[in-house]
Amino acid sequence: MTATVTPAETATAATPRRRRHRLLVPLGLAVLLIVTTLVLHAVDRPDTDEPGFLSPVATDDDGGSRLAEALRAQGVPVRRETAFDGVLQTAGIAPSTVFVPAPGLVHPDLLDRLTALPPGTRVVFVEPSPRVLAELDTPVEAAARRWAARAVPPDADGTPCPLPEAVRAGTAAIDLQRYAGPAEVGHCYGGALLRVPGRVEVVLAGASDPFRNDRIGEWGNEALATGLLGGNRPLVWLDLPEPVPAPTRPSWSPEPFTEEPAQGGDGGRSERPDPPDRADPPWENPLWGAFPQWFWALLAQLALAGLLVVLWRARRLGPPVSEPLPVTVRSAETVRGRARLYRRAGARDTVAETLRAAALDRLLPRLNLPPDTPDDEVAARIAERGGADPERVAELFYGPAPEKDRELLELARELDALTRTLAPHPSEGDTR
Amino acid sequence: MTWRAGLLLGVGALTLPFWPAPFVGVAVLTVVVLLLVALDRAMAAPPHALTVTRSGDRTVRLGGTATVTLHLTNPTHHTLYAQVRDAWVPSAGARPDVPPQRLLTVPPGGVATLPVRLTPTRRGDRPAVALTVRSLGPMRLGPGQRAGQPATPPWTLRVLPRFDSRRHLPEKLARLRVIDGVQVTRGRGHGTEFDTLREYAVGDDVRSIDWRGSARRADILVRTWRPERDRRLVCVLDTGRTSAVRLGDEPRLDTAIDAALLLTALAARAGDRVDLLAADTEIRARVTGSGRPALLARLVEAVAPLEPTLAETDFELIAGEVLRRERQRSLVVLFTALEAGAIGEGLLPVLPRLATRHRVVLAAGSDPVLSRLATATPTGPDDPYAAASAWRALAERDRVRAALSRYGVTVVDVPAHRLAPAVADTYLRLKSLGQL
Repeated sequence: MTATVTPAETATAATPRRRRHRLLVPLGLAVLLIVTTLVLHAVDRPDTDEPGFLSPVATDDDGGSRLAEALRAQGVPVRRETAFDGVLQTAGIAPSTVFVPAPGLVHPDLLDRLTALPPGTRVVFVEPSPRVLAELDTPVEAAARRWAARAVPPDADGTPCPLPEAVRAGTAAIDLQRYAGPAEVGHCYGGALLRVPGRVEVVLAGASDPFRNDRIGEWGNEALATGLLGGNRPLVWLDLPEPVPAPTRPSWSPEPFTEEPAQGGDGGRSERPDPPDRADPPWENPLWGAFPQWFWALLAQLALAGLLVVLWRARRLGPPVSEPLPVTVRSAETVRGRARLYRRAGARDTVAETLRAAALDRLLPRLNLPPDTPDDEVAARIAERGGADPERVAELFYGPAPEKDRELLELARELDALTRTLAPHPSEGDTR
Repeated sequence: MTWRAGLLLGVGALTLPFWPAPFVGVAVLTVVVLLLVALDRAMAAPPHALTVTRSGDRTVRLGGTATVTLHLTNPTHHTLYAQVRDAWVPSAGARPDVPPQRLLTVPPGGVATLPVRLTPTRRGDRPAVALTVRSLGPMRLGPGQRAGQPATPPWTLRVLPRFDSRRHLPEKLARLRVIDGVQVTRGRGHGTEFDTLREYAVGDDVRSIDWRGSARRADILVRTWRPERDRRLVCVLDTGRTSAVRLGDEPRLDTAIDAALLLTALAARAGDRVDLLAADTEIRARVTGSGRPALLARLVEAVAPLEPTLAETDFELIAGEVLRRERQRSLVVLFTALEAGAIGEGLLPVLPRLATRHRVVLAAGSDPVLSRLATATPTGPDDPYAAASAWRALAERDRVRAALSRYGVTVVDVPAHRLAPAVADTYLRLKSLGQL
């Protein structure tokens, strides 16, 4: 009856799966965390395209009803306009404050009409995009943008703020989008609030937070918003329900919304490039025209051919084969390890004692001496048999422990020579 | 894909300057090449339809070469163009006669024979792991290859121990015959068991003349004696951590297996019954010597897959197993190491129980490196430390040996390469003394 117990080989199948899990689980968690953060941030951000965003009649979080009430309480006449042309008509009569909470909804080609309003007018833009800035012909560029709005004092970057309203308001949560412009442009809040002087004064606010219902109560937000929009001028509030389309003819007409369908539907943004006849020609790499077209096609096809070769080389003929290796322990491993420990500890006394005892163990039976023979007699007998100086032998066997490695080596050599002549080891000469 | 598909596409790229619309040309050429690849794949013999079988050697002695042949049958209607890789574990030392890169052509209904020569480097079971067939079409453009298609036909080559100590067997058997009293007339044979009466020959010991028998017959008869037969012998192989230590160029376990095999061969010839037990923390192999003729072969089969484990040997388990299975008084030969920790804490507590019921022999091959370290002439600054450490190890071993001897255990402590004959000699001596 033969029964052989073979080791279990279950571990081999589970190992790759576990290894894959070890990599996938933390990576998946990290990706999930990042995606959740991004989604929450996108949900939390107010949508400027949405109807009711910063509207004086909207009472929800994104609305501006509290701001409108505060302004009315200060005695500022607030005129709500839902059409762009209405703004031009209303504000064209006398200098007033024009509030544009969603400049992205206004078609870029129409923006320069705001700068043609009567002198003394102030136009306040909330978070204007770089394209809006370019259309307005302001010397201002968009600078750093933050992840969320931050409350900063008016002189955040060390320069005094030239806007008295901002200085009065103090710290406000406006630092989301910063702008940079030349020195004549007044910087406040580290560039988050800019005043561009001119015939029509343009004010750029870097965040919608100070104007919104949900955050107008924080810091000096309310004071800043009412200060910017208030004063002795009447306020014209542009509350657009949908994007303003491009003008159909060079001179604007009172009824622009009827003929042309709103381009791009709901998601259509006015930053989008316009009909091809009006758009700038797209930027083209000059290298493209430097070679004939077939050259690029040749490159593409050679890359595809390379891809095929890569696919060919990537497929191996079967997986590599693994096998459990047997346990191997080097011969006399513990003995060598202990020798190294002795060496590191500098245990010369122990080593010398062991070597002397081992040599005596081999010599005494050869000399027919009992183990309890006195030291001097042993030394004398060994010296007599080995033909050496008795004092030297006594020093060798019973002397003090060596101080240095060289002395220890000397001692070991002499002991070895002595035992080799008097008591050869039985295994010596047998090299097998 | 093969390199041919890439080359085809690359050569096709050279025609692009002459196309009116070069990028359309890229698309057309790519689609054409991919279609060709798909067509070629469709015309290739599907790998899963192939049938694969193996035949050849099941066992081989370590150091020998075995041949296992793979038969690849193509039952499809397509000619098979294939690259075949038959993967064995690395220690099987497989050398296929047909290298995997070579393209094999098998006509429809044909059979390809692929012999693999195996020269294993280690004892134990060496399995074939994976068979991979990459089937190509007649254009060699699109290879079809999928893991597990066709399924790998299982095959395990059992590599038996080398049994180098076979060379000692004739000499030991001759000595056994002397002890048996079969061969030599002088002396009456060793042993205590009465064997036969035979006629007196010149040179026989006169003390063994059986006078009563001689009186009944005209001739003078002598009694012959023989050693006891049908004694029991138990070889215990320790496969624990101490068996992994290398003595010379092989693990202690291999030395022990070699010695156990010689002992078994000898004892089987002497008419004794041999059991074998291999254990560390659990029983690894067990052979009961009932069917005597095939005993050695079965024993070799059983010990072949043994591997040292990194665990302390459970001598309690071994003693319990031996006591439970061997009711009669037996000779228990324990192949282990003379190591103070393992023996002192594992074996010594259970030894009294074992030694009262059985005759225990402890066979431990010593490391020749150790005595060389101890007695070499020191030359470098490290040598005295090594020598002292070796002397200490030797002294520890002597202490263990003395402790074992107190329980009446015979300790065979010789350099590893002399272990097998020394154990056999011990057995013969015990047998001749009738101490089994």
